[in-house]
Amino acid sequence: MHQFGYVQAASVSDAVLLLNEPGLQSRPLAGGTDILLQLKHEPQFCDRLVDISQLTELHRIEQRDGWVHIGAAATFAEVLENPIISATAPVLAQACATVGATQIRNMGTLGGNVANAAACADSLPALICLDATAKILTPAGEEEIPLSEFVTGPNCTSLPSGGLLVSLSYPIPEEGSRSAFLKLGRRNAMAISRLTVAALGRVDAQRVITEARLVTGSATPRIERLAAVEQTLVGKKPTAELYRQAAAVTVDEMIRLAGYRWSSEFKVPALTAMTERVFAQVFDHKEVR
Amino acid sequence: MKLQFNLNGKLVETEASADATLLSVLRDNLGLTGTKEGCGVGECGACSVLLDGRLVNSCLTLAAQVNGHKVITIEGMCLPDGSPNDLQQAFIEVGAVQCGFCTPGMVLAGEALLAENARPSRLEIRTAIAGNLCRCTGYQQIVDAIQITAQKRQEKKTDA
Repeated sequence: MHQFGYVQAASVSDAVLLLNEPGLQSRPLAGGTDILLQLKHEPQFCDRLVDISQLTELHRIEQRDGWVHIGAAATFAEVLENPIISATAPVLAQACATVGATQIRNMGTLGGNVANAAACADSLPALICLDATAKILTPAGEEEIPLSEFVTGPNCTSLPSGGLLVSLSYPIPEEGSRSAFLKLGRRNAMAISRLTVAALGRVDAQRVITEARLVTGSATPRIERLAAVEQTLVGKKPTAELYRQAAAVTVDEMIRLAGYRWSSEFKVPALTAMTERVFAQVFDHKEVR
Repeated sequence: MKLQFNLNGKLVETEASADATLLSVLRDNLGLTGTKEGCGVGECGACSVLLDGRLVNSCLTLAAQVNGHKVITIEGMCLPDGSPNDLQQAFIEVGAVQCGFCTPGMVLAGEALLAENARPSRLEIRTAIAGNLCRCTGYQQIVDAIQITAQKRQEKKTDA
């Protein structure tokens, strides 16, 4: 590896100061599983790493006023083992469980996955399905942005230079909501996702769908809730035929947003099956969540 | 920069550059060559060590990040007299070692699993070693070795 500096932040505000120290190109270091590889390929990527991984407050996961707040340096393992997450957002726990293998889940962080914003980031569809927001700290102050606006495209975010992603938060889905996440990769372990789907939904006492959300990953340039798919489902009773209709709309949306690409021949049947399956997992259960 | 951390139960001090990985510090500074460099990009698990009890790839961990923490390498696994521990012995007995390059990482992945799950199923063992590649054995014997050790440790517990 090539020469770069290292400094450990003493607090979150100290980290922001260090990131904005003039004359140095600094980058935050959390789990390091992406940035250390980046530095191997591109030594000029930055001059100095500001280590935020040792700040306990950035690992905290807590429930407050109907929201769940996750510190940006919480590792995938910390997220997927957390009882608050498994009780309120199985979709996120399932997404984190599909990341890499044990070694990567023990080091890699939710904040790193979001801030790198790879098109194939496993946590992004789950978080956007949960209507998550990102809290950003800059020398000018604090800002809370919907995650679907924070991530502007593959490897692109609206994070200002010198800004630090501090936490991710999502409103706890209404009582009776269920959620699920599916990933398609070349193998189970260490696979980069080829396609992912994250879904959330709820039915009323008459088993009529009152809420449906669907987000795809590795399918469209922007990761966002697909409103057209959601409208297909709301107000109807969940049936296999309805999931087929929703899957057809999902595929149309992927092609409308991403164009018909070389991979579409493979992605169309795969996304169709995954959409049907994920809605079956969300709606075809009597028990709650 | 100066580093100080607990390595296999002993406090060690060493000098390393800010960009040094834990892997290079273990092998080049401290002479513990049991930890292997395979792919160097976090895919193969040959460089696995335990950091505060958690399995990590030492090739993707900055040495600076372990300052003040606890690291266990394969050298810290043996019995006090230097002989292999029960899991290592099981690897030998069932033929889970061929070229041996993946073995240190595999043993540590096995120990990390057994520390949090005393009775893992074969599927759970396979999931636990999913980040460790072996190109010789076909994995069956490695899964056997971990499973046999889990059973023996359970028996020992009930006997005691």
